[in-house]
Amino acid sequence: MEKEKNKRSFFTSVKEKTVLFFKDKKKKIVNFFKTLPARTKAKFAGAKEILTQGNGKVCASMCVMGLGQLMYKQWAKGILYLLVQAAFLAYFVLKGAGDFIGFFTLGVKEGNAWYGEQGDNSVIMLLMGILSVIAIIFYAVIYIANVKDAYRIQCAADTLKPTPSFKKELTSLLNKNFHKTALALPIVGVCVFSILPIIFMIAIAFTNYGGEVVPPALIDWVGFENFGKILTLGQFAPTFFKIFGWNILWAVLSTFINYFAGLGLALLLSKKCVKGKTFWRLFPILAYAVPGFITLIAFKFMFSYGGPINQIITGAGGTAVGFLDIDAKWTARLIGLSVNAWLNIPSGMLLATGILSNVNSDLYEAARVDGASSWKQFVRITLPYVLFATMPVLISQFIANFNNFGIFYFLRGGLYMDGYFLASDTDLLINWLYNMSIDNNYYSIGAAISIIIFIVTSIISLAVYVMSPSYKQEETYQ
Amino acid sequence: MGKNISAVMAHVAVILAVLLVIGILGSIASAQAGGGSEKFTGEIERGATIRVLENDTAIKQGYLSELITAFNKKYEEYGVKAIDANMDQYTDLENDGPYGYGPDVLYQANDRIMRYPEHKHILPLPAEEFDCYDKVSEKGWQAYTQKVGGDEYIFGVPVNVQGPLLYYRKDLLPENWQTEWDDDKNGIPDIVEYWTDMYRYSKQVKLSGNGKKFGYMRSFLEPYFSVGYLYSYGGYSFGDGNTNPADIGHSAGNAEYGGRVIRQLASVMDERCIDDSVTTGAYSALASGEFFATITTPDVYTMFVDEMKAKGYSDEFIAENLVTTYIPKLPVSGDLEDESQGFIECNMMGGVQGYAISSYTTCPNASLAFVKFATSYDMIKRRNELLGIVPARSDVADNLGGLSEIINNNLERGNITVMPSIKESAQLWTPLQTLFQDLAKDAFRKSAEVKYETLESIKEALKKVDKQIYDGIFTLQ
Repeated sequence: MEKEKNKRSFFTSVKEKTVLFFKDKKKKIVNFFKTLPARTKAKFAGAKEILTQGNGKVCASMCVMGLGQLMYKQWAKGILYLLVQAAFLAYFVLKGAGDFIGFFTLGVKEGNAWYGEQGDNSVIMLLMGILSVIAIIFYAVIYIANVKDAYRIQCAADTLKPTPSFKKELTSLLNKNFHKTALALPIVGVCVFSILPIIFMIAIAFTNYGGEVVPPALIDWVGFENFGKILTLGQFAPTFFKIFGWNILWAVLSTFINYFAGLGLALLLSKKCVKGKTFWRLFPILAYAVPGFITLIAFKFMFSYGGPINQIITGAGGTAVGFLDIDAKWTARLIGLSVNAWLNIPSGMLLATGILSNVNSDLYEAARVDGASSWKQFVRITLPYVLFATMPVLISQFIANFNNFGIFYFLRGGLYMDGYFLASDTDLLINWLYNMSIDNNYYSIGAAISIIIFIVTSIISLAVYVMSPSYKQEETYQ
Repeated sequence: MGKNISAVMAHVAVILAVLLVIGILGSIASAQAGGGSEKFTGEIERGATIRVLENDTAIKQGYLSELITAFNKKYEEYGVKAIDANMDQYTDLENDGPYGYGPDVLYQANDRIMRYPEHKHILPLPAEEFDCYDKVSEKGWQAYTQKVGGDEYIFGVPVNVQGPLLYYRKDLLPENWQTEWDDDKNGIPDIVEYWTDMYRYSKQVKLSGNGKKFGYMRSFLEPYFSVGYLYSYGGYSFGDGNTNPADIGHSAGNAEYGGRVIRQLASVMDERCIDDSVTTGAYSALASGEFFATITTPDVYTMFVDEMKAKGYSDEFIAENLVTTYIPKLPVSGDLEDESQGFIECNMMGGVQGYAISSYTTCPNASLAFVKFATSYDMIKRRNELLGIVPARSDVADNLGGLSEIINNNLERGNITVMPSIKESAQLWTPLQTLFQDLAKDAFRKSAEVKYETLESIKEALKKVDKQIYDGIFTLQ
């Protein structure tokens, strides 16, 4: 009776929390759109002011970067802005303009390697085109800074305030504006090494790159055609939804198993009654230390028909079991979950061990005095604390499991099942993506699936994070 | 305000004007570029460095080193130097070549090399100029022939013919084979001549060995060794001599008979024939006598010898008792328990490995000279001595006899179907692998779960595989 009551109150509380969460979100979204015009207006008020109040010197800086500064006798800054414009124009004349146009055309002339004819390489053009857009954005940012600077000088001159010297402004980059200095290089790095590849991958999803269309053949923009194919093509859509469903189930189950088994192991090994804790902790760490793919190959062999498990079974007079063969849909899935647990529980255990060592033991003492059972202590003290501390890790584990390529690639690769298009019944979206983009060269479809994976994992991760105590009660444990 | 907006607009206009002018000039420039010239002029590029991509075995066994040393010595006066390209043997020219990272000369199997001609990644070769031109069989050249832009070209020079052979232990034949297992009295055991007898004998061995010993054993997972059973009864991978990807015919003719043969053969093995766990252990199992016979390629002969030596057998014993021979004949009936209608040759899949020249090479003439040198009589003979390959050159193969003769005869007789040389062949392997696994597994399913008891059900499965392959090729194009 008590149990039933607790259960009901738990579900009521979850329901209430969910309703509250969505109410809160709805309010925020409505508010966001309501205040949007005002915020936009405020943002452009500065620009309007410059455009209406700016004098001839500011106008000169608008025409030619740095000219206004030079007219205000800010020589070093003016020359620097001028050099930036000259450098950008040189880049634009020599390369940038061609790259920018190439981004839209993706090439007009096909190469012929037999005759040494250099054609357009659509993939490179796409990449360089994106780079040219980034360069234009950088230039625009510097251009705006140049105009703002000219206007700032004008304001200072109009109010007879001294304008800061170039040396002083440089010095401020090491003091007041140090964040700008510190972030400049990382921003460039992020643009080139993170943003560029991401935009490139996203752009690929809107082209026909792959299959027959690989360089030197020219690639074209195809809009949302690839997404349409995924959702509508006869062979494609059913496979997508089947794999997607299994992928969600896999990610939830594997994250749950790994997390709670790791926590359980950590709790077990932190018990005072356990002797030789270091020794017992060594075994999971050993499993963790062996490279994952070696472990997977070893497990594949163990579960194969010629492997030790089947040898024991047949040796004992039984019939060999196809743990991972063509008929073994759910057996293979369960083995996948178990092997994944074997690989990931140790890291969960290490994480939980570290966190548990920081829990205030007075809380347990107080709970014991109040008559709380071990389970109650776990549910009310340990779990909230560990969840609070590890929610971001838990989310990253969920994403890693969602995109866990190795498990089924190594355990049960090389099967295309009936009712699946270029996939088997244990493949995850990431395996399907691999089958299509690497094995079958359908790069654009692969990129479209990546975007879908990205959207799904982002939504789930964000939702879980926003609802988690790590986000809502950030101050609680600090 | 208007003045300032005009200033910003003027700035943007300047940039856009530059963009437009460069764009127009760029397109004019690219339209004017072009023209081309024949690459093989006969003039060897002096001082050229040729990057040669060879297979790992040739590198490990020292053959490549011998080859490039001999070539460099011969062409010393031109300052031409061949070097190991030092790349993965499966390097993809399509991705690396255009950026200057690919090899100049590459040695790969026909199915890999022939993915390149469509987009002109490799050069058409003047085959008649090679001294092996009339020594290599027509089927060998066919593996490297493809139409591009309406014209037919040869893109590779065949070096090595790959085809399966039956390996068996003569000492494990039944003692009474001459009286009981040689009906045609030709001095060759029927067990290794006909699949029906091999099946019957394997059944006996399995029964008497309590499932610990086997007659014939081979994993069905690899399509390379299994698809031949379908070919033998009228199936084919691609129509028009393996060149038409729109015509997929693993279910054609009586290919379902081949499916039944696989199912029957699986029943005289154990479950290891379903996955590939038996493949690597086959050398040791044949050496220990656990298996009587298996099928594999000629280049692994030394692996069997090494295993037998490790088990204490003498060289003489091995030479006498480790036998390689033709693949047994199949019954016309497609039933290993019925030989009443006679026999047909067993047609297996094979391959031809050879040299090709990258279109991105800066030294086409020196590369051509290298390929001519590497395919000369002496170098092919040396290749055979060091690597045990089966030469595609008939003059070398005839002199060598043995395995080389068997494989070349098989190719000539049409008992080897060369792997399709079109890039769509990449779509064959996984669907076929899945089907063969399913057919082999069927021999071990409980009676209620059996899927392929009738020929119709096998035909249906083959049709599904054909559709799967077709969809794989055409759905997203």
